Amino acid sequence: MPIAHSVVSGMGGMRTAGDLVARMQFTQKMRISEAKAYVANKLKVSAQDLSDVAVMREVREELGFGVVLGIPGDPKGMEAKARIAEVLDIRINCVERLKRRGRA
Amino acid sequence: MSTYKVRAGDGRFISMTADEIRRDLIEGSEDAADRGGIPPLEENEIDRLLDLFLDQAGVVGVQIGNQVVSTQDGGDHRINADAGSCGLALAIGRIQELHLHERAFGQDTIELGHIDYSYKAVRPIVAQEQSYVEHALLTTTSPLMYGAMPNLGLYYAPDGPYANPSDLLPAGKVKEALAAQEEASLHAQRDIVYVGTRLADSGLDAMNLDTSGSAGDADFLASLNAAEELKAKRPDLGIEMGMASEFVLGMHGRLSYKGERLAGMYPHDQVRMAEAAGVDVFGPVVNTNTRRSTPWNVARAVCFVKACVQAANIPIHANVGMGVGGIPVLDTPSLDAVSRASVAMVEIARVDGL
Amino acid sequence: MTEQELLSAATEAVVAANEEKACEVAREAVSLGLDPLRVINEGFTPGMREVGDLFERGTMFLPEVILASEAMVAAVAILEESLPADQREKTAGSVVLGTIEGDVHDIGKGIVATLLRVYGFEVHDLGRDVPLTSFVEKVAETGADLVGTSALMTTTMVGQKALEKMLKEAGLRDQVKTMVGGAVVTQYWADKIGADAYAENAQEAVAKALELAQG
Repeated sequence: MPIAHSVVSGMGGMRTAGDLVARMQFTQKMRISEAKAYVANKLKVSAQDLSDVAVMREVREELGFGVVLGIPGDPKGMEAKARIAEVLDIRINCVERLKRRGRA
Repeated sequence: MSTYKVRAGDGRFISMTADEIRRDLIEGSEDAADRGGIPPLEENEIDRLLDLFLDQAGVVGVQIGNQVVSTQDGGDHRINADAGSCGLALAIGRIQELHLHERAFGQDTIELGHIDYSYKAVRPIVAQEQSYVEHALLTTTSPLMYGAMPNLGLYYAPDGPYANPSDLLPAGKVKEALAAQEEASLHAQRDIVYVGTRLADSGLDAMNLDTSGSAGDADFLASLNAAEELKAKRPDLGIEMGMASEFVLGMHGRLSYKGERLAGMYPHDQVRMAEAAGVDVFGPVVNTNTRRSTPWNVARAVCFVKACVQAANIPIHANVGMGVGGIPVLDTPSLDAVSRASVAMVEIARVDGL
Repeated sequence: MTEQELLSAATEAVVAANEEKACEVAREAVSLGLDPLRVINEGFTPGMREVGDLFERGTMFLPEVILASEAMVAAVAILEESLPADQREKTAGSVVLGTIEGDVHDIGKGIVATLLRVYGFEVHDLGRDVPLTSFVEKVAETGADLVGTSALMTTTMVGQKALEKMLKEAGLRDQVKTMVGGAVVTQYWADKIGADAYAENAQEAVAKALELAQG
């Protein structure tokens, strides 16, 4: 069922910018329009581009946010999330945890 | 007169004329308005819903640019067990399932969860769950949530230490039933906070308090108190609160949060309580009536959720799964019904996510 | 107090779940020599009906429904003392109730048990996770009019179908009516397995039970 909703109404996850907009909802309680506007502004794209796989594939590759079909060497997992936290100017718990561990 | 195929609330196809569909849309909306004390849908909204149901495409979708955040609940057992304990769909591991949701299905968030899906059951094995969270976080990019239910039913005999209100109430032991619920609510709160703080310390992004209120107002209270306590202890942990039904069942009847009685609250009031507790994302539920058509059920659900969206200051992710949000009661619901409910929630109720 | 005022007071006492007031109204009715059956049927019973409506709409809650029911039972007991034995209230029927084996969900079933008792049924609540043989044995033992089963999972709803067969094999199916309910159960399923009734919620379960019990 969630797969059906993703196809019909979803932003597209890390194929696009759905994961980034979701982060703004869960960390800043932003409503959908506000969250899209915030992420679009940080990424320097339009709000509509956020659901466009053609635009976002390139943007994610350039910013090191991780893509579904990444080539060897592309940021993935934790590394990608560290870049996302920096560009979106938010705290991501596991990245903060890694930073604390790194300093210890 | 031309007829159109729509689904009944139990998932079977039925044929209706355009006038019959419109009548059901209006009646569904008015039923929600009457019960919830909220405005019915506007004429243009009924027209848009009618268009959705007269369109006989197998699958419909939202307009480009209108897409919203798509999350899932039920933990990482959507693929390997579908709806909780209702059968094995595909035998794969937990982390693989997260990768599938993130990389193949394009979900905007991913969710881990124990197969029992109750915080009480997770408490004794939380170290195992922390390990899974830590492993998952290394190789995934999307926000990782952990989902489970407060499930107050597990705190009552024979599963838990408190007498069962389902036995006490029919026997007329009202005082004992109320006391058992109050004690169980505090116990559930302790378990949720215990699990939540540990998972947060493992780097989890957000907790999902799913099917809050399933055992009534004491269940909802446990969720609210736990959310408030967790936010105080781990402010960076996101919290989603998903409900179990459209109104809070008064198994106790006298419990209140921030001075307001919880029993009988509909989504537009529930969300105010969730906000007061510090919840980040709220998931309203509207139940499906299997005897009515999907037009009736979708209009009714959209009417309730629209009022909730308008009352809210936090993102609203409507529950649109089997038997809720206008979806038929069938564990493999048809795409034609699911996609119409999905579009209606996004473009008419104006939800922030699903 | 006029007779009409007294009937209204009876209704209000039940809706307010005020046992003391309900008993006071009943005693006054007896002292005024009013027809006890009329006071029950036109005073207290409409109160209980209103309680049912308020519960169904989510504005009155289970503990209050039980207290209202206790108020009504206490008042009716006072009125019945002045009735000949053959006119005293009989039970609405006898029901065996339970959640199918493998299913531990008992909240909905508990509400149905409570409401059935409120409406005068003798309820044999077998609880949850009940083996199918226990339903059959209890029906045989009590001669119940109805057997109601609840299932909230697709893996347990099949037990409702098996129970139909087991009741037939035990030679009991003709003497007992079957009712099914639960989150995954539908009218279509009830029709398919040959159950006598399906209820969407607790209030409807009571209405269907009353209908079936009255034949």
